[in-house]
Amino acid sequence: MAPLRLNAVAFVSSQNHPILIRTFNQPKQDELKYHYIAHTSLDVIDERITAATATKSTDCYLGLLYVEDVAVYGYMTPLKVKIILALELSDALVRDADIVAIFKALHTAYRRSIANPFLKLNSPGSENIVTDHSTIIYAGTPKWKAFRRRVDEIGKAVSTGVPIVSSA
Amino acid sequence: MNSYPVELLAQLAPVMFVAGLDIPLDAQEALQSTPPKYQDPFIVLALRLREALVSQRKPAMWQPEKSKTFQVALVDPEVRFPPRKMPPPEDQPFAQTHSPLSPLTPSSPLYPDGLIAPIWIRKHTSLVPSVFVLFKRIYESPQPANRNPLDHDPEAKEREAEERKRDAELSAEIALRKKSTNERNIKLTVVLMASRRMLDDPTLDGRLTYIRRQSGLDPRAALFVLSPVSPSEIGDFVKSLQEALYDPAVEYYTNHSKRVRRKRNKHAQASSGYQLPLSPSYGSRPLRPEGWTVRYEYKMACFAEFRGEDEIALKHYQDSYNALHIMFGSTAILPPRTKRWAEAKVLADCINVKICKLYLYNNEHSLALAHHNSHMRKISDLSRGWGIGEETFEYWAWLARQNRVFAELLEQGTRTTLKIPTHLPVKPPPATADPRIAQANPLESDSLKSLGLNPSQALQHPGFYYYMAARCTENRRDRFLHAGDNEVAMHAAAASPGFANEKKVDHLSIVLELYTRAYELFKKYAPRIPQNQGRQTLWIAYRIAQTYYQSGKFEMAVRFFERIAKTYRREKWEAMLQPLLTTWFACARQLGNMEMCVQLLLEMLGHGLNPDSDDPDAIQEDLIAVLKTSMPSTPDGVLVADLSESDPLLDTSVVFWKSEVTVGEPAAFQLSLAASSTLPISSLPFTSLSIHFLGEFPTVIIRHKALPTNEQEKEDLSLVKRVDIGSLQWGATVLSDDGSLVVEADLRWGLGSTMVICGTLTSDIPVSMSVEKLVLTMKEGSWSVELPILPNSRRSIASQVPRWLSSLSPPRFIPIQREHTSSVTVQYRPHRIYVAVSNDAPAYLGEEFPIIIDIINGDDRELDIVIDVLLHPTEIEEAVSYITFDSEQSAALIKGISCGTLSPGGKVSKTLNLGTSGAPGDRMLDISVQSRSTSISAKLSESTPADTGETLRTLVVSVIDPINVAYDVVYKRSSKPQRSIADLETYEGDYWDDGDGGVAHVVSKFSCAAPSGVHVESVKLTREDNSQAKITSCLLDSDTGDLIEDWLCGDEFCDRCQISIAPDDDYSKEDFIAGPGTYEITWKRILPEGAYGTSATSYYRLPSLQPPPESLIALMDVPTTATMHQPFGIQLTVRNRHPSRSAYVVVQLEPEATDAFVVAGLRNGRLPILLPGCEEVIRWNLIPVECGFVKIPKIKVMNRRKVIDQQAHARVTGGITGEDPAPEEPVEIVDIRWDDRSVVAASSDAGTTGSGAVNRYICEAVVLVLP
Repeated sequence: MAPLRLNAVAFVSSQNHPILIRTFNQPKQDELKYHYIAHTSLDVIDERITAATATKSTDCYLGLLYVEDVAVYGYMTPLKVKIILALELSDALVRDADIVAIFKALHTAYRRSIANPFLKLNSPGSENIVTDHSTIIYAGTPKWKAFRRRVDEIGKAVSTGVPIVSSA
Repeated sequence: MNSYPVELLAQLAPVMFVAGLDIPLDAQEALQSTPPKYQDPFIVLALRLREALVSQRKPAMWQPEKSKTFQVALVDPEVRFPPRKMPPPEDQPFAQTHSPLSPLTPSSPLYPDGLIAPIWIRKHTSLVPSVFVLFKRIYESPQPANRNPLDHDPEAKEREAEERKRDAELSAEIALRKKSTNERNIKLTVVLMASRRMLDDPTLDGRLTYIRRQSGLDPRAALFVLSPVSPSEIGDFVKSLQEALYDPAVEYYTNHSKRVRRKRNKHAQASSGYQLPLSPSYGSRPLRPEGWTVRYEYKMACFAEFRGEDEIALKHYQDSYNALHIMFGSTAILPPRTKRWAEAKVLADCINVKICKLYLYNNEHSLALAHHNSHMRKISDLSRGWGIGEETFEYWAWLARQNRVFAELLEQGTRTTLKIPTHLPVKPPPATADPRIAQANPLESDSLKSLGLNPSQALQHPGFYYYMAARCTENRRDRFLHAGDNEVAMHAAAASPGFANEKKVDHLSIVLELYTRAYELFKKYAPRIPQNQGRQTLWIAYRIAQTYYQSGKFEMAVRFFERIAKTYRREKWEAMLQPLLTTWFACARQLGNMEMCVQLLLEMLGHGLNPDSDDPDAIQEDLIAVLKTSMPSTPDGVLVADLSESDPLLDTSVVFWKSEVTVGEPAAFQLSLAASSTLPISSLPFTSLSIHFLGEFPTVIIRHKALPTNEQEKEDLSLVKRVDIGSLQWGATVLSDDGSLVVEADLRWGLGSTMVICGTLTSDIPVSMSVEKLVLTMKEGSWSVELPILPNSRRSIASQVPRWLSSLSPPRFIPIQREHTSSVTVQYRPHRIYVAVSNDAPAYLGEEFPIIIDIINGDDRELDIVIDVLLHPTEIEEAVSYITFDSEQSAALIKGISCGTLSPGGKVSKTLNLGTSGAPGDRMLDISVQSRSTSISAKLSESTPADTGETLRTLVVSVIDPINVAYDVVYKRSSKPQRSIADLETYEGDYWDDGDGGVAHVVSKFSCAAPSGVHVESVKLTREDNSQAKITSCLLDSDTGDLIEDWLCGDEFCDRCQISIAPDDDYSKEDFIAGPGTYEITWKRILPEGAYGTSATSYYRLPSLQPPPESLIALMDVPTTATMHQPFGIQLTVRNRHPSRSAYVVVQLEPEATDAFVVAGLRNGRLPILLPGCEEVIRWNLIPVECGFVKIPKIKVMNRRKVIDQQAHARVTGGITGEDPAPEEPVEIVDIRWDDRSVVAASSDAGTTGSGAVNRYICEAVVLVLP
């Protein structure tokens, strides 16, 4: 896999609240930019989901969302958590399969983090930790380092061109 | 787009000059004033033609359609074309002549090294046409009135001469025009306008031929005649005119192309040693060979574009662009920052737009975008070398211009034909999964496309490019301001001219314009789905707001911020809120809106947003500074800072220890208010905190009371403070001024500290208790700020679990793991009601089964008791049940049976009766005992629920039949002799003939199944004789009186009755005869204490009868006893009961030596043939000669019908007797003393054979012979 330059990754909950936004090798003043990018992509994701529902497609991968000075791709897990990634623009073909592999790795990282039983210690009421919205948001807070570490590892792997074996 | 010469961008189309349609001014005025009817038709025609022609094509950048239309220019008939060649300068008489625009012409603006100028395009679009259309009126001599065609017209000659003269003049005029157009190979077409009458004039053809010849017009498509016609016909005319002239126009441009190509080829050959005859005195260098290539390729591209040949145009534009790029590569060829360099840059940009446009015409979106990107990249690379790299405003200005012109191109395109592609991921088709097929696929690019795409070649809607342009312009402004700072710092006296120009630019309004257009386009392209939040437009709106802020339009900025912040708050994108709030605050400060400032600062504190991470106190200090230094707009008013949409200033949570309490029981609660651990709010001057509870609890106000300093220090160390507000009573009044409870406490929160307010709530009525709202009040100077806080609002998720403070030092909390911890429900104490339901199950069918409900009030309250009973419907078939309760009867529900008021300890007993019939089985009852307290509290309002309780019991009653009955039925044949056919008695109406049916004996066995036993009062058989059966006798008739009255479980009782059966003629084997009577047993349940229950009657119907059918039968009537040596008779009745066949019966008596009788009578003989329904009787006299049980002699009865049949058949067929002789059929002989058949036996004996059969066919009746 040709090295892709991954600039940022964002996880957004089903109610469109940010869970985690990580940037890779970006100047500090640019980090905010990726918040805006993630937020604006939600519009396109909504549009894609509507289109997908109309065609009864069940594909999680939503494709290229838009291009600014980065190329923004989207993915939605079956439980409607949205994953957005921003790639540095390079004048080369980007294979969908590569992007899907990154997304699947990110999805796995997310699932493993949300499966942490200790998250539930501070979560009131709801029994189902996988769908409890506040727990999902909570998983992205700085207190839980493993999620960040996993995402950072994926970011590093993508940038060095290591093929990501989809574990999904 | 305006930043480039329009000539270089517009779509080129063949140019047509139209002359001769000018209308004199006075005529125009006259036209306006006269009504349409009287207008000069030719002036109207000219006007309409002008309109139609000019509207054929408007100059525009995007015009992909290839209809044969011209760019029409209205000109003066005498218009002169620009000179083709300049006369050579006088000092060089032998030099070649060149066009006045050529770089070789010293007077040209391009002299000596210009590439191409917009004026060249203008020459071809507005000064030189490809076709010239000249409109002229043909002379029409006035027509004399009432002219007779036969008359010789004396004036005709005169008129003809006049026409000839005028035509000659016209021809000369055209010829003159023709001469000038011919010089330039321009096609000249003349349209002669004539009246309708003239068209019919026979002389017209001749005149036209004359004019054409005289003027030297082409034979084809050069002369048209038009009369005033309707607008639609004018349209048709214009269309056909253009179609006719399109080919000459194309030819015209082709010729130009050919000429240029020749020149280019010549030039390419000579390029190595090409030296221009140039005087060195000009001091500048001539155009280089690369420049000539650019020039020629550009011209060829333009001519191809004129012809509408897009592909050729694209090819030449690309060649031109490439050559231009080579020129840029060398500063020797094109020294930067010169006039020619600037022109070349503009040219390159414009060629890029043309190339992109031509790609887009062909829907090659990726190629277009790729070219555009590569253009920007190439020029960016070059810019660095030119000293206008990314750090200069020039660079960003240029980049912005590129994005903008591209956006404009797309915008124009999308208005007509251009479709923006969607970039949905494409599933790879299954065929390409196989690599061999994928390789063999000639459309490899397609298969690659399906696997992914190059994001930088994904065309998006123009809004994106406007947005990019705006971003670039922002950068441009930044660089410019930066450059300005440097300039000031360096005291550079002479600013560069570029900088001076830049100073005049209002960057912000450009940015605003670009963002606004982007905003509109994003809105236009936003998906039309209901959940669309317009986040993209919000982002652009945010940029617009920032721009407004920068340009000092704070009001506008604030209006945008208000709208944007709503979505960001709702979706919790706090990182994005921070810059927004910061700018908003700056705007508010600029506007002097101090209320808004306070509110924004509080919101920032709530979100924990801190723009300056080095100084966490900044916001707090800002807020205090604002409060101290400013005055509210209404000095005495209270500012209510509503932060309900954003994060709260303090994390609050209300926790009740229990989720339910009973009335009068205190419910302990804790209300905790926690400050953020990142942003300090310790100096905020809170003066009071009021706690409002739901319902009629007094409001608690906690007033700030600063602690003494030594305690203050101690307090600062502990992160948790506890304030006890004691217990509060529902509806209690507090003796204070405003009816609220005042407590004093320290209302300052240190970093991350928590205040826990605890107390209890008590209510005497059932309500839900909770904290309604909290209001923090801040007072400083003339400011009074109220901060309403929701009682359960948390800023972060981490503190979501409700906690109960269990120990203050060290602080310990117990997590409360249940839902709805923030409210408590007060309920009445449950009523202590004891309900006992008793019954003597099982219930018996037919009786009214009593169920006793005992209710005891074990409570200390007086209770009203009401009972509801529901009888569930049962699924058992034929089961009928009902309940009776206090004279109410229902098959389902009895409601509201009142048991009156029970005082404490009181008891009531009620009997419910369950009546059942039909079928046994379980019946289910729900008994609901409702209690309601009679003591009505004075505090109860209408809405408070009453003090009620309900006790439920479910009862399953099994219902059985108390008496089971079993029947045993046997049938006897009639022994009565058959009445003769003519017997008159048989015709009587009440004649009862049981000769066929015989008699049925029914034994009914009643057994008692009731566990408690029943007391039977009577057993009766009610006769219900019908037409086919009647009871002739019954044992019950004879014994009455000695019935055993009390039947215990297992006791049995029998009755036997005899039923005479007279089946109808149409009675068949399958029919039943209804039982002709019903047993009626009246009984009472024996109660445990020996008494009897209510009387009930059960009915048991006699079974249906089914006498077995029969055919030929012999009945033997033998007496039971005989006396030795006394003769007695026996009698054999042979009955043919077969419905259709006659019988041929032979009777044999076979005396044996051992026989105990002496027999007198028939030994062997044939009976008369028995027709169906007939019978024959044979008698014998017997004298017994032995004593004891002796068998009578053997008698056999044979039916020989089959033998007879066979013999008769043999006679008919001629005596062939190959078959075995048919056996004689024995006839069953029945001893009528033992004649009893049950239905079952009768139906099964048909197939029985073997030893049993022998006995049945030989009479072995036994007689007891007495001595």
